[in-house]
Amino acid sequence: MTRVLINGIDSHLGAQVAQRLSVFPEVSIIGLGRKTPPAPVGRADWLLAHLSGLQMVELLRAEAIDVVVQLAFVEHGASREEAVQQNVLGSMELLGACAKAGVQRVVLRSHTALYGANPLNPTYIAEYRPLAKINGPGWLRDVFEVEQFSAEFAARHPQLSLVPVRCAPLIGDSSPLITYLRQPNPSMLAGFDPCLQLLHLEDAAGGLAMAALSHAPGPFNLASSDTICLSQAIKLAGGKAKIVLEPVVSLAFAMGNRAILGHWPFELSFLRHSCIVDTCRAHGDLGWAPEHSAVDTLMALQADEPDLARRELAAEALRAFLERRNEGVHDE
Amino acid sequence: MSDDVRQNQRPEEQPGEIEEEIPVMSAPPPPTPRKAAAMGNRNAPPKPPVFAEEEEELLVTTPPPPVQRARTSAPPPFWSDRQNDHAHDDDVPISGASASSLYENELELRNLAEQTNTNVDAMGKLAAGTLKLIADNMRQMTDQQIERVNEMLRGIDLKDYLDPAFWQGIGMILRYQVDEQMAFIKRRMSGQYVTDAYGMDREIIDLVRPSLMFLYRTWWRVSVEGVEHVPAEGRALLVGNHSGVLPWDGAMIATAVAEEHPAQNQRLVRSMHLHWFSTLPFVSPALAALGQVPGLPENAIRLLEQDELVSVFPEGLKGVGKLFKDRYKLARFGRGGFVQAAIRAQAPIVPVAVVGAEEIYPMFANAENLAKLLGMPYFPLTPFFPWLGPLGFIPLPTRWSITFCEPLRTDMYDPAEADDPLTVLGLSELVRTTIQATIDRRLEERSSIF
Repeated sequence: MTRVLINGIDSHLGAQVAQRLSVFPEVSIIGLGRKTPPAPVGRADWLLAHLSGLQMVELLRAEAIDVVVQLAFVEHGASREEAVQQNVLGSMELLGACAKAGVQRVVLRSHTALYGANPLNPTYIAEYRPLAKINGPGWLRDVFEVEQFSAEFAARHPQLSLVPVRCAPLIGDSSPLITYLRQPNPSMLAGFDPCLQLLHLEDAAGGLAMAALSHAPGPFNLASSDTICLSQAIKLAGGKAKIVLEPVVSLAFAMGNRAILGHWPFELSFLRHSCIVDTCRAHGDLGWAPEHSAVDTLMALQADEPDLARRELAAEALRAFLERRNEGVHDE
Repeated sequence: MSDDVRQNQRPEEQPGEIEEEIPVMSAPPPPTPRKAAAMGNRNAPPKPPVFAEEEEELLVTTPPPPVQRARTSAPPPFWSDRQNDHAHDDDVPISGASASSLYENELELRNLAEQTNTNVDAMGKLAAGTLKLIADNMRQMTDQQIERVNEMLRGIDLKDYLDPAFWQGIGMILRYQVDEQMAFIKRRMSGQYVTDAYGMDREIIDLVRPSLMFLYRTWWRVSVEGVEHVPAEGRALLVGNHSGVLPWDGAMIATAVAEEHPAQNQRLVRSMHLHWFSTLPFVSPALAALGQVPGLPENAIRLLEQDELVSVFPEGLKGVGKLFKDRYKLARFGRGGFVQAAIRAQAPIVPVAVVGAEEIYPMFANAENLAKLLGMPYFPLTPFFPWLGPLGFIPLPTRWSITFCEPLRTDMYDPAEADDPLTVLGLSELVRTTIQATIDRRLEERSSIF
């Protein structure tokens, strides 16, 4: 019996991971989050709470958790202070609690952008490549900080195996890259057209679930097996690229105007160079293979857009309605 | 495509060759009478019409010597490929007609050039090569664009290449074609296309191939030796000497393999370029589209493991930014990284010696301070650059030779030996001396740089 705790079950990704794990009868799953899960979570039981470090230890001990999957990251929508609190300090607290409660394995969601976009990187970046120093947007800096801290933490706690799973930009839920692609005129740099890898939400969930149940040491890269040029990605998402000159961008940056690139979620260098990862290790050690190509994922995004939003609205309304009804029944 | 055989032939072998080709090339119009008439009508012929008529006679009637027959029919896939190619041309009525009449003209100019004195001969060959470039480009154009080119062509006397008006007209057509190609690339930017992770784009490669072929055949008149040493399939690492300020040598090696290899499978060579080029706007996506890859050992190993042909220039910057006075002296071969990659991937190493590329931009000095200021690895000063502006980018039309040497096997080494400096540096030195010796031999054979 493997007991898994998913921290961040209140995200689409968390719900999907829970579903994937529910397939295995010998796995018991507990979800931890702050809101109700937005999608079905299979056999998982969930707890909606904001636990402190010691309460977390108590929970982990009481449930005899073996594996923790850490997905509770805020990428956008929260204030900077709140985000650091949850992303960095929350992860540190969780790692500390895991070490104390004797958890064997922690799977940490991370990002491929941590390798940086650099012409000195090989075109396919493998996991042994050192991470680049991130100066860019806040959420990526948080992910970097968590990886750095967890590497140090793992060195000091050899009994706990820490597995960062570096995912390419996710498509399927709201994500910073989708915000960028959904703009009518996303910005691109003149004279550059980097290639992108994407990752469908379902493939990401599959990879995280496999990483949770396997005993292979990490880290693992997860990404679609095909690549797509940025100009093509913009086109498939239904927009038209706005070309900006690099000196103009640099000048605007120097003057503190970061808005010139619109919602580009990465550093400026990612508009110049590709950041493509090698997923051989996930294929070999986890037996993971992506089911969705980057192109299909983006096409589906364009097709589903209104549909998806409508379905989500309806689901929320239904949930609220049923809750109200239930309360009414109990009152009577 | 169709003149590669012709070029390699000695003049006395030509009749047999042409007799083979005429039915294929000029399928729509019956060639001889029309051509003869055209020749007769001309006012200022570079040679008397009688002569030309005689030549036509010669072409059609002389029975080819039996030995020749045997030679031309020896590699059957080669010929059958070619015929299919032209048969395909004829499917498109307009392009087929106008492109093949251009090929005819090209052939004619070449034949004329054979018999005149040397200066005019060079001019005639250039004219023929240019016509072929236009015709090759036309094969990728739409019907409307072809109609436009045909309109322009009607104003030009295609046989009178000594008349400045000929060159003016040709220049106009070429400019139109380049404009259309740029427009095509731009249109495609907003359309759908696929590239691999390195950014390689097959359509762009096909688009520029005629221009590369023009440089290869007409501008630099490359002669190739030993191209059969490049494996027809499977991995191999081509190691060349780098020279000539701008990396044209890589493009010519790739063209040689694509066009001259006996297997005729148009194999692509992935050239490794200096990663500095990846930081340049427009240059970086252009190189990537043409199949070039940043020169990092991981990339080389990965491509070799996918059974690709990879070409590297271990001299790197020291080679390409070489001064004219140091020409044909190979610089240090880096730290043997290319040998490590070959041993790890168990790929044979094919040393390649390029002669002629050193003189295309005779660089007499390197303005190092200026280069540093501009963030460039070197800033060349040649007799033409930067004094003549963009004209300084035109390379000199030297005569090139590319020699592919016997492959050096690496499969007798254990992949772990890639970490042994003695093995690696020894093999690297062996490759270097092989290339140097081949260059020296080819230099001795060469009578003039043009």
